[in-house]
Amino acid sequence: MPDLPLSNPIMFHPARWKNWNAVVSGKLLGGVIAISSILLLWYVLSIAVKPWVPTPEDTVVAIWKNLLSTSFWGDFWLTLGRVMASFVTASIVGAAIGILIGMNEKAEAFLQPLLALALAVPDPVYIIFAILTFGTGETAGFVALTIAVSPFVSNIVRSSVQARDIGLDEMAKIYRLPKRVFFRQSLVPQLVPALLTAGRFAFALSWKLVVVVESIGQPDGIGASIFHSFRLLRMREVAATAIIFIVVMQLLERGVLGRIEKKLLKWRD
Amino acid sequence: MNTDTRETVLKVVDLGVSYGETPAIAQLDFEVKRGEFVAILGPSGCGKSSMLNVLSGLMAPTRGRVVVDGDELYLPRSKDPRLGYVFQAHRLLPWRTVRQNLEIVLGASDVPRDTWHARIDEILEILHIAEFKDAWPMRLSGGQRQRVSIARAILVDPSYILMDEPLSTLDEVTARSLRQELTGICQRTGATIVFVTHSIREAVYLADRIIILTRGPAQVFENYIVPLERPRDYDDARIAEVEADIVARVQAPWGLETVKERDVA
Ligand SMILES: Nc1ncnc2c1ncn2[C@@H]1O[C@H](COP(=O)(O)OP(=O)(O)OP(=O)(O)O)[C@@H](O)[C@H]1O
Ligand SMILES: [Mg+2]
Repeated sequence: MPDLPLSNPIMFHPARWKNWNAVVSGKLLGGVIAISSILLLWYVLSIAVKPWVPTPEDTVVAIWKNLLSTSFWGDFWLTLGRVMASFVTASIVGAAIGILIGMNEKAEAFLQPLLALALAVPDPVYIIFAILTFGTGETAGFVALTIAVSPFVSNIVRSSVQARDIGLDEMAKIYRLPKRVFFRQSLVPQLVPALLTAGRFAFALSWKLVVVVESIGQPDGIGASIFHSFRLLRMREVAATAIIFIVVMQLLERGVLGRIEKKLLKWRD
Repeated sequence: MNTDTRETVLKVVDLGVSYGETPAIAQLDFEVKRGEFVAILGPSGCGKSSMLNVLSGLMAPTRGRVVVDGDELYLPRSKDPRLGYVFQAHRLLPWRTVRQNLEIVLGASDVPRDTWHARIDEILEILHIAEFKDAWPMRLSGGQRQRVSIARAILVDPSYILMDEPLSTLDEVTARSLRQELTGICQRTGATIVFVTHSIREAVYLADRIIILTRGPAQVFENYIVPLERPRDYDDARIAEVEADIVARVQAPWGLETVKERDVA
């Protein structure tokens, strides 16, 4: 977006507004078409794969029932808590390791191969090993998720640290900025876009993996509830629970993280 | 030089810099007095940036001594010099406002906090950027950003200010107006300046003295006192005369063609 002054006549020209309306209705139309095709496909599938794919209207009823049930919300808050715990820990640990690798050549030589390995291991392997080590309590899920997510954060943050403006490093040295000031005022602000990307990624990965962890190794939570419904072959509940969870997580991802992003990057206008 | 009673701020003795086996600076000896405006003139690749790295405390020389206000740098116990540096690019923190940028360097200096406000206002006034105190650097023009960078350098009470072709990225009109103000700013603030440039005319216009270097690895070719009183006019015929005089002197040691084409035409 170019830096147009507010009084720019083009911005307020009626023709431009009309144009905007066209864009909005175009987007709207696209959305409507997309949703109707999904619904249509869903109907076709529900007829073709008869008992296993529930019909949309059955699912809507199930969603409504879920929203009114206390046991759903109990599972929901439990799972959200688990997502947040791993997400926050993985972000902090991952960012710290990423900065360390990016700033320090010795740390890079030592940790970079470990990081490459950690990125290559499939997530279920962490989950299985964590359960074998810690049993099926809270710790296993927390450890597995944190170990699975933080290497991604480290990797994104590391490349951003290495791509930093060396000119600002020199400036900080010449004006003798203390390390603490250099980190806060020069380094971390340069990492903000990468940290936001890493945060989004970590959040998305956390809430997708938490469902797997819960279904394999936990007696409660959204994942366990989905797995339970699946074992009883109640596919309506499976779909309903999954849909609510996905929608809320998407809203959090876009709404909250998007707002933080806007605030942190306001100097770019 | 014998009549100059001002104290010595910077003393460079038998300085040599090599990268591995390759020499970048053969030998440099010179002094800079308090309040002096010294231009360093040398052909590309002769070792000017290497010299600035040494004078700014960033890189230890291979040989020789650098003494700033009586303290020798690069000894195991020597303290960091208090310097200003105006880089080719502005090197401001784009996510901090002009005032915040200045406060950050003041926070790392010995300037008492209760005087910051007045100092910042005064220096921004002198540099004609007072109204941009709370602006983001990205909102400023290139010339305004470079003014902020100059303000930052003067603000911390430096022993001297190093400038590495600070006007070379600006358009000619902006460069002219900043050039014109730079000498006035130095007189008003008493700053000591070491100014590296490719442009002979710029050096003649700005400096009290020009240290002309040889082709790399650098040596001092000549200590040239600019024989012009102030204020000076950039388009004055006498500036052109001095410029021509210097061109004539450096033709042989620098290699004639490049000098003529780039700096005189
Ligand atoms: N880090 C380095 N490693 C090896 N050689 C270097 C390094 N920095 C500079 N040199 C060499 O040292 C010599 C002097 O370089 P320097 O950058 O100091 O010149 P300069 O006078 O600043 O040139 P210019 O006017 O083009 O900026 C050059 O031959 C350059 O190739
Ligand atoms: Mg250079």
